[in-house]
Amino acid sequence: MASRSRAVFSTSIVFGVLVFGSELACAQRAATIVIATGQEATLPIPTLISGTGNQDVADLLFLRLAALGPSLRTAGDGGFVPQLASSWQRRDSVTLVFDLDPAARWHDGVPVTAKDVVFTFTRARNPATGGHLAPAIRHIVSVSAEGARRVVIAFDRAYNEQLYDAVFHVQPLPAHLVGTVPDSLFASSDFAQQPVGNGPYRWGRRVAGQFVELTAVADHFLGRPHITRVIFRAAESPDARLIMLLSGEADASEGVVPPLSNLERLRRHKDIQLHTVPGSIVGYLLFNQRSPDDLSRAHPVLGDARVRHAITLALNRHAITRSLFGDFGDVPNGPTPQIFWIRGLAGPAEARDTAQARRLLRQAGWRDSDRDGVLDRNGRPLALTLNIPATSASRRQMGLEIQEQLRGLGIRVELSILAIPVFIERRNAGRFDMEIAAASMDPTPSGIRNSWSCQSVGVPNANVGGYCDPRVDSLMAVALTTSADPAPLWKTVLLQIRDDAPAAFLYAPAKVVAIHRRFGTVTLTPWSPWSTIYQWTIAP
Amino acid sequence: MRRWIAGRTAQAAVTIAVAAVLMFVLMRVTPGDPLARLMGDRPMSAEEVAALRALYGLDQPIPQQFTRFVSGLARGELGVSIEYRIPVTTLIRQRLPASFLLGGTVLVLNFTLGIWLGALQAVRLGGRLDRWLSTLSLAAFAMPSFWLGLILAWLVGIRWHILPALGMIDPLLPPDAGVVVRSLDILRHLVLPALTLSIVSIAATMRYQRTAMIEALREPYIRTARAKGLPERHVIWRHAWRTALFPVITLFGLWLPIVVTGSVFVEHVFNWPGLGSLTAKAISGRDYPVIMGASLLAAALVVGGGWLTDMAYAWLDPRVRHAA
Repeated sequence: MASRSRAVFSTSIVFGVLVFGSELACAQRAATIVIATGQEATLPIPTLISGTGNQDVADLLFLRLAALGPSLRTAGDGGFVPQLASSWQRRDSVTLVFDLDPAARWHDGVPVTAKDVVFTFTRARNPATGGHLAPAIRHIVSVSAEGARRVVIAFDRAYNEQLYDAVFHVQPLPAHLVGTVPDSLFASSDFAQQPVGNGPYRWGRRVAGQFVELTAVADHFLGRPHITRVIFRAAESPDARLIMLLSGEADASEGVVPPLSNLERLRRHKDIQLHTVPGSIVGYLLFNQRSPDDLSRAHPVLGDARVRHAITLALNRHAITRSLFGDFGDVPNGPTPQIFWIRGLAGPAEARDTAQARRLLRQAGWRDSDRDGVLDRNGRPLALTLNIPATSASRRQMGLEIQEQLRGLGIRVELSILAIPVFIERRNAGRFDMEIAAASMDPTPSGIRNSWSCQSVGVPNANVGGYCDPRVDSLMAVALTTSADPAPLWKTVLLQIRDDAPAAFLYAPAKVVAIHRRFGTVTLTPWSPWSTIYQWTIAP
Repeated sequence: MRRWIAGRTAQAAVTIAVAAVLMFVLMRVTPGDPLARLMGDRPMSAEEVAALRALYGLDQPIPQQFTRFVSGLARGELGVSIEYRIPVTTLIRQRLPASFLLGGTVLVLNFTLGIWLGALQAVRLGGRLDRWLSTLSLAAFAMPSFWLGLILAWLVGIRWHILPALGMIDPLLPPDAGVVVRSLDILRHLVLPALTLSIVSIAATMRYQRTAMIEALREPYIRTARAKGLPERHVIWRHAWRTALFPVITLFGLWLPIVVTGSVFVEHVFNWPGLGSLTAKAISGRDYPVIMGASLLAAALVVGGGWLTDMAYAWLDPRVRHAA
């Protein structure tokens, strides 16, 4: 009997310690926010960044010269708010001058100077060290310092997104700490492991595979952050992120929809509130206009704009988008995510019109001559393969709906679910008929040139469908350089792309962000939701 | 005996070498671009792609890539991860403790509870305890571990709020917390993933041990021992159980790699930062250096497990020892 009592007592002690051990950390909770993210931040260093996990952390550590304001208008000089630069002015049509805020400091106490900005732009403009930044700032011809606080940036041409290019892509690095590190060792340097930034939060620690912790800079020149600790907790599985939110192990997470089933669970939770911001993603059914067997020839089926347009009209894109995103997504009229200020210029997307789709296919010579339910031409059935990345459950669901809807029109679609590396390998090699692709875009509409211009045909991960319309190219060139309002030109660009039908644009979702109710004054920036977290408050 | 051990060791080394060559070649002939994840969804110039291929040696013919890998291996280097851009040895070192902790706990629970419960069932064959444990072990064995994990995470982590559902440490715990506090915290996080993996694995060990023990208890030497008047406890644990351990030793050899490879599903569900999930991610992204490092480690453990099993057999069974 005594031994049984001892066993029960010991078990109770162990159980109690395990269960109530959670109290140990509770005291730390109040002024801390734990953000569940899908990607681990392994290298949140400007010029080395890849992936949103790194960018989210870098945006709190490293400020830009200026940030894009709430209008999201990238053209002209009016839509920006100061960050490292307290003011800026135009010296002439190709020169911008920035005056740095004298209160801006690196986290080691050293003032941020023009030398830091010049140093970082030099790195960023060099394709060997700047990676993907170099093409984005290709129109910048020189960056120079005038004294300790003034930076002069010169461009090779006049265009209306100069300020955007000068401030959005490059986040200055501390020259006094990075300047001595050889380029080849930068990614593995001490600085890369323990970055020193100038933002409202400083580097705390990283526990590999688990989380990154940042701590507030109490005397930051942009204001004292109310939230004293920010923890980015990585969980690749969307289920794991949902569990974190529901169990209270995380306070916030973005991208909680799709699946729509998450919504009900989160709405039922008394502590969680849902916020939305314009999303940066646009998804589409891409048509390969080049023959997969010989890229120099037109695709035997999809080379014809009438067939592409017919497929677009045959799809009930609103139903597809609604089934995935509910009220949080819409059908774009072109390659325009919600963050583009030009979205909506070309009016709503075309509605489903199967009669017109059938007419277009008949005009293109496709008929069901053998009555087998599949259209054919010269003995060849209208059969196409649709490539889908295996990792995306949403795109798999979309693929099934597209397959079913096109079957009704007499088009046979075979789904090919591929591992991501295989999917990307095939798209870059042009070995596909159709694919469901999604692009995450910067706020500038000039990004359209990456995938929908003649000059980007053949560039890996760019215009893999081989779409080329010189009219679109020249219209975009004028829209980007005009000193007048570029909106009418962008409208024409979008309408022309719609008529060319290089893709059936399917969805442009909003970003749905779940945040604990104890945080107030919540503002979210569309391209980096957490970058204004230093302005949030905490309920008493 | 020494020659036998040396022969077995040489055989193990050759097996690992052959496995390494096969893995290296198979990985490279499998479709999929290892730079795909780096590219993400942004355009890359041809020069940028070429520079990256050169950096990771992917622009060289396979034999040259293999030579580069072997020479690195000789220096104790496994290359640099394409995804994480840090040495693979560092990456493995970061993830190994979590794998050891989870895998080791599961292994210990599996082979203590599994063996004990299996033997107990055999001793009480046909009784109520045997029937109950048989039903439970069959149910546990049939349960997919990821499903069980999700149920436990939902029930214990979300509904009851009594244990953390995810991760290995509480990020809210201050970095300067004491050893006891940190150990307790890890222990709390370990409970659910260890339980999920153990429930399924214990069930398997129980089934093996029960069958082996039933057979052993029917052997003539057990009848002899009983006829000689030995106490029943002595008969069961000294005579029958020792013989019944052999199939379980083989099972142990097969389970040993779990210490490193973990369970991809369970690591995924509980966000446990082990080597299993790292390897799965590397495979899906074709991160060749990480796949090679993790596979070599797993191959070494599989072969090592076999080697240990052979040694244990030789130690426990005089017939094997004398034959050797």
